[in-house]
Amino acid sequence: MDLQSKEKKGLFESPIEKRLDLTLAAEEASRCLLCFDAPCSKGCPAGTDPGTFIRKLRFKNLKGAVRTIKENNPFGWTCGEICPTERLCELECSRTSIDRPIQIGKLQSFLVEYGWMTGFPPINTVTASKAKVAILGSGPAGLTCARELAKKAYIVTVFEKREKPGGNLRYAIPDFRLEEEKVNREISEIQALGVEIKVNTTLESLGGVDGLIKDEFEAVFLSPGLWSPKRLDIDGANLEGVHTATEFLEAFKTGNNSIFQDKIKGKTVAVIGGGSVAMDVAETALRLMPADVYVIYRRSYQQMPAEEKEKIRTLQNGAHFQILSQPIQYMGNSRLTAIRCRRTSLGDPDESGRRQPKEISGSEFEIKVDFAIEALATEAEPSLKESEKSLQWTNHGLIEIGDETCSTSRLGVFAGGDIIRGPALVVEAVADGKKAAQAIADYVEKKGVR
Amino acid sequence: MKDLSINFCGVDFINPFLLSSSPASNCGEMISRAFDAGWSGVAFKTLATQKTKIIHPSPRLNNYNYESSKLIGLQNVEMISDRPLKYNLEDISWLKKHYPEHRIITSIMGFSNEEWRELAKASEDAGSDMLELNFSCPHMTVEGSGSKVGQAFDLVEKFTETVKNATTIPIIAKMTPNITDMNEPAMYAKKGGADAISAINTLASITGIGLDDLTPKPNVFGKGSISGYSGPCVKPVALRFVAEMAQNPELGLPISGIGGIETWIDALEFLLLGASTIQITTGIIHYGYRIIDDLIEGLSDYMEEKGFNSVGEIVGAALKHVHSTDEFDLERQGVVEYDIDRCIGCGQCYTVCQDAGGQAISWDYENRRPVMDEDRCVSCMACSFICPIEGLIRYKEMPKGWERFIPEPMSG
Repeated sequence: MDLQSKEKKGLFESPIEKRLDLTLAAEEASRCLLCFDAPCSKGCPAGTDPGTFIRKLRFKNLKGAVRTIKENNPFGWTCGEICPTERLCELECSRTSIDRPIQIGKLQSFLVEYGWMTGFPPINTVTASKAKVAILGSGPAGLTCARELAKKAYIVTVFEKREKPGGNLRYAIPDFRLEEEKVNREISEIQALGVEIKVNTTLESLGGVDGLIKDEFEAVFLSPGLWSPKRLDIDGANLEGVHTATEFLEAFKTGNNSIFQDKIKGKTVAVIGGGSVAMDVAETALRLMPADVYVIYRRSYQQMPAEEKEKIRTLQNGAHFQILSQPIQYMGNSRLTAIRCRRTSLGDPDESGRRQPKEISGSEFEIKVDFAIEALATEAEPSLKESEKSLQWTNHGLIEIGDETCSTSRLGVFAGGDIIRGPALVVEAVADGKKAAQAIADYVEKKGVR
Repeated sequence: MKDLSINFCGVDFINPFLLSSSPASNCGEMISRAFDAGWSGVAFKTLATQKTKIIHPSPRLNNYNYESSKLIGLQNVEMISDRPLKYNLEDISWLKKHYPEHRIITSIMGFSNEEWRELAKASEDAGSDMLELNFSCPHMTVEGSGSKVGQAFDLVEKFTETVKNATTIPIIAKMTPNITDMNEPAMYAKKGGADAISAINTLASITGIGLDDLTPKPNVFGKGSISGYSGPCVKPVALRFVAEMAQNPELGLPISGIGGIETWIDALEFLLLGASTIQITTGIIHYGYRIIDDLIEGLSDYMEEKGFNSVGEIVGAALKHVHSTDEFDLERQGVVEYDIDRCIGCGQCYTVCQDAGGQAISWDYENRRPVMDEDRCVSCMACSFICPIEGLIRYKEMPKGWERFIPEPMSG
């Protein structure tokens, strides 16, 4: 089957991806056992309470259900869409012992959409009257922290380096996984609570954290994310056709994708890496009608950090998983023509607990490709680390957090999201934003400001 | 396959399953398909003379759902047949000619003695095997018609007598449940000469109100109404009326059971409580005539398994076990017992026992399992109804002399 007819037949969406409507949501809610001490409600890093919102749906208290979701998490829709619920809330579901878990993520995003459809605003605005708080970075951690502080009447300003707010939601996660229009809606709900977002504003232009504190911000929350892609240290990285996932995904998210759109059609693409971002890149590439998409990964299928359902979906959509393969050279004159790899075998587990790949000498082989997109980890932007020397940084290039409250080594400065965790889930960023907001409020109150 | 034939008022039916008088038995074409599917007979949708023009309200029905279960109840504002009498009579003759093994019970409703007589005569002449007198349609509001008659017992007797004198074929009187004691009108019907009773017609109801227009449903252009309710929800009420009449030795008439029947088990319950034919509509509105396959196969397999040789042997077999509550043996008591190894830890039993039972169950938070204190169990069995694991919670009789804990008054 060619890709065009595949698209028509909807193979890009697997059947389990069907969206819910009110009838289907009610049907799904009626499967819920309404557990006395709902274990699902203990399975979410961000404190989502499905036990309550599903019960509310079950008893036709739909507004109440939306309120429960949204009061807890400003990114309720987003998390419902992209959270790996199968290993969080749904993993805990008692129903699993009978047949299969309740589709909690789907119910959650449905309910938020239902709230939008019926024009129901779940959160009341509060007049901002308390201290000024600066937030650096408008990804899910930053905006959640902003929303929580706005709910507590703090005057919140979010500074965003790029043109638009949203961080990873805006610039990395492909539209087919997360509709931009709905992300916009969740962000505008946060703005409606009085949160000011200043875009095109770098930390440097503000004079760094020092500058913010001088500017009468009583506390600062750093959630800049990790935007500097790690690269393979091999020959040929400068050849035309070699790109990073950050660059590739951002091109599609911003519409500046002319260097990829149409050019990938009929060509062969290699994606290097085995995480969720690699799957996003592969799936984006697959939609451009390429000849082939390879996912080259140095360990085996089981060690790929991408979610199981993402791996399966990427395979189903036609990618070839080239596992146990270590790229050792990009080949070509000015343009990439092939990747030279070496076979690996798995040895003992490394510090991540995954079996470590060992290259097999003499096993070199080439894969003819036109594009290579490196989807390895990302790190903090070097300039940030350079300018914020007053903060304690970890060996992994992350901001050191003192305790559970997201406070950094510097008084009044807090941090959350990928910058403290390394690449993490949106729901974990939300959890940080909530924790930090509480810690900031406690800090400011203790300090006795206003 | 077992022989499911049954004799009802001297008329032989190939099985006890009939269409009741309703939209499912509206015309010859429909009924012929039902007969082809396996239904043994029909109560043809109620005929009237054409002196009163019948116009159905629009829309006619409203659904009553529970969670994701659709149509556990159905409300209707349907009227009797709106077809010309001539058409209906021709269809009856046509069906008799083409389906000699099948039985036509013609439902009729008159608005005067004269009309009852005329309809009875015409129906018999068309070839009807029996008549069913509609004393129970809740939507015919003209005095002296529908359930107004069923509630005015002397009229039940009078019109039955009129029909009896006009025909030679057996007569069934169809009862409204919107009364206190069905034995009363049934006895009047018997005095008037009825050969059988059918019960129940629909319950007076309101199934829902539009939250924007504040109008009961079905909303007939701004007006709702209290009207007839049917479907699985009404079965328990129907079984009660059937059992009460079947247990009344003075009545002693065959009963055609109606009310919420969908499965062979529903049908069997009516038979066990004294009905000897079964009439169905709402099940057909929900699922179509095809449900007859499962009614026949299920009943036949049950008879095979339990050693019943005819449907007649089943009729009334459960009546001897229907008592008034003051006859219970209260010396014997029990509790629930849990097969805790199968428990999945949802805790619904704990919730219900705390809030509506005997507080016999406490919750082990660490292991997420219920812990039982037998002496407090009131044996309501509610936990077993809610438990998602079939058969995990069962009843267990306690030894004679065991005493249940009674909650003490609050103090302090």
